[in-house]
Amino acid sequence: MKVTFKDVRLSYDGKTDTLKQLNFTIPDGALVSLLGPSGGGKTTTLNLISGLLPATSGQIFFGDTDVTKQDALQRKVGMVFQNYALYPHLSVRDNIAFPLKMQHVAKAERYQKAEELAKLVHVDDQLNKKPGELSGGQQQRVAIARALAKSPSLLLLDEPLSNLDARLRIEMREEIRRIQRETGVTTIFVTHDQDEALHISDAIMVLNDGRIQQFSTPTQLYDRPENLFVAKFIGEPVINTLPAEKLAADLTNHIDGDILVRAETAGIRSEAIVPNDYGQGVLTQIHASLHQAQKYGREATATLDYQGETLLSTELAGLPRDQSEGDFFLTRAGFFLFDNRGELIYGGDADDQ
Amino acid sequence: MAKRLSRVLLYLIVILGGITMLMPFLWMVSTSLKTAPETIKVPPLWIPKVFQWGNYAKAFDAAPFARYFVNSVIVTVATTVGQLFTSILAAFAFARLQFYGKNLLFLIFLGTMMIPGEMLIIPNFVTLSKLSLIDTYGALIIPWLASFFTVFTLRQTFQSTPDQIYYAAKIDGASDWKYLWTVLVPMSKSTITAVTVLQVIGSWNAFMWPLIVTNSETMRTLPVGLQAFTTDAGTQYQLLMAASTFVILPMVIVYIFLQKYIIAGISKAGLKG
Repeated sequence: MKVTFKDVRLSYDGKTDTLKQLNFTIPDGALVSLLGPSGGGKTTTLNLISGLLPATSGQIFFGDTDVTKQDALQRKVGMVFQNYALYPHLSVRDNIAFPLKMQHVAKAERYQKAEELAKLVHVDDQLNKKPGELSGGQQQRVAIARALAKSPSLLLLDEPLSNLDARLRIEMREEIRRIQRETGVTTIFVTHDQDEALHISDAIMVLNDGRIQQFSTPTQLYDRPENLFVAKFIGEPVINTLPAEKLAADLTNHIDGDILVRAETAGIRSEAIVPNDYGQGVLTQIHASLHQAQKYGREATATLDYQGETLLSTELAGLPRDQSEGDFFLTRAGFFLFDNRGELIYGGDADDQ
Repeated sequence: MAKRLSRVLLYLIVILGGITMLMPFLWMVSTSLKTAPETIKVPPLWIPKVFQWGNYAKAFDAAPFARYFVNSVIVTVATTVGQLFTSILAAFAFARLQFYGKNLLFLIFLGTMMIPGEMLIIPNFVTLSKLSLIDTYGALIIPWLASFFTVFTLRQTFQSTPDQIYYAAKIDGASDWKYLWTVLVPMSKSTITAVTVLQVIGSWNAFMWPLIVTNSETMRTLPVGLQAFTTDAGTQYQLLMAASTFVILPMVIVYIFLQKYIIAGISKAGLKG
């Protein structure tokens, strides 16, 4: 089911807007992540979609139907909560069958459906247990099965993995991707973990301060951040930022003057600082001194001192140890310039050239 | 050593407390098996020479206890079920719903808990007599159909259930009504059992109110019926105690089976209240 927001605004107290003029369309069958820092409006947006929160103004469409005035009961979405929210007094079987019971589906039929779904999410051997007897990962699977029980038009997941340990999180995110592919249900996934979002989404909507910062594919988000916030938020290690004027001398011959004049901040991804020009699309050459090199497992990072700014690079592992000062290269990919409003004015099109 | 000593002391206090609590109960059972002269003997006699089992038959015949028993059961069941129903609805409203004046209303109700029950006897009596309900089941039942103590206890429990369970039920297609009865009430089983048991005991043992609002023999409940043994000529203690023993027997049985819930419920209500 396609979801469309038209000028949706939400205000809890009538004075300040928690969400400001949201406009977007989530295509049918896609897995979309809502990504952003805490308090950015992700869960609020999800609650607007589910109908748990009414929009202050604007319209919400499911397909071509205006559902703005419908509540959660009428919208028929499936939802998985951060703490799973399973009914503790019901068995796994009854938990999964609960939405069907509410629709007055006959017992035999709803139990059959519950068993099918339990198989899909791999908890079919736990049907008679109570949620309290299951591990976190199993509870999450049951919650997903329950959300899918009524064949929802939309599957909404609110930070479903944040209560799981690191290894299980990776396993479960692959599971969510698999289940989504198998069922083809349009899925909206809230997370504050960019790694999670980048791995499983068809598209990512970055929300901050109640606004959509960027809504695009994961690759686009990384390769072509539309503003400084997205550039800083996406990517690990965090992008190097420095005042554009410090780079002015090194950029004058490579970038148009009128762009440089407007440039306020430069962003350089750590992998865009390389020791040699192998013809990988180098933008310019900079002179810097090597400050410190560290190695963690397979990751090696080095910090450079460039005009009083510290730059982090992940591409300098093979550098001779005694080299402390020298020339380094900036690649075109991973180099961005932003104007005084934080909007992207240069970069992000390396692949096109 | 000090640790052991404090433990011994602790047990001593607990045992003393237990004996103090148990003494009246044992005295009642013992008296119920004595002859009339034995009941007032000095020094007191703990174990009667010959167990007078006949006291029980005599006591039972002395008054229409079968009728009193039926009345007690009717009043206890009706007040408990009725009170539980109204309290669950009210507690849900206070815990979950948003309505105008909710907090003020809650405070006013909370204030009513400070009014001693004895003060309400006269206004309640006047109201019921104006409704010509005196000496009917109505008088015995209606005033007890709402209890803010029960509302308050249940509200605390309802409030402690996670919001997300409520939202999940909403998403799953449950209305407030369905959520309340299929999710919230089963989840709050232990508290509900506890308040039920407290209400059953209170209702079963109620003496003052049934005494005041009933006149006819056929409307009396068991505790009131025990008065039959107190006459102008004095009290027949052995028969009174025999009757008392079988009056409290159902409650003792209830307690034995549900003590886990009662203790849990009381400590819960106590902690949060």
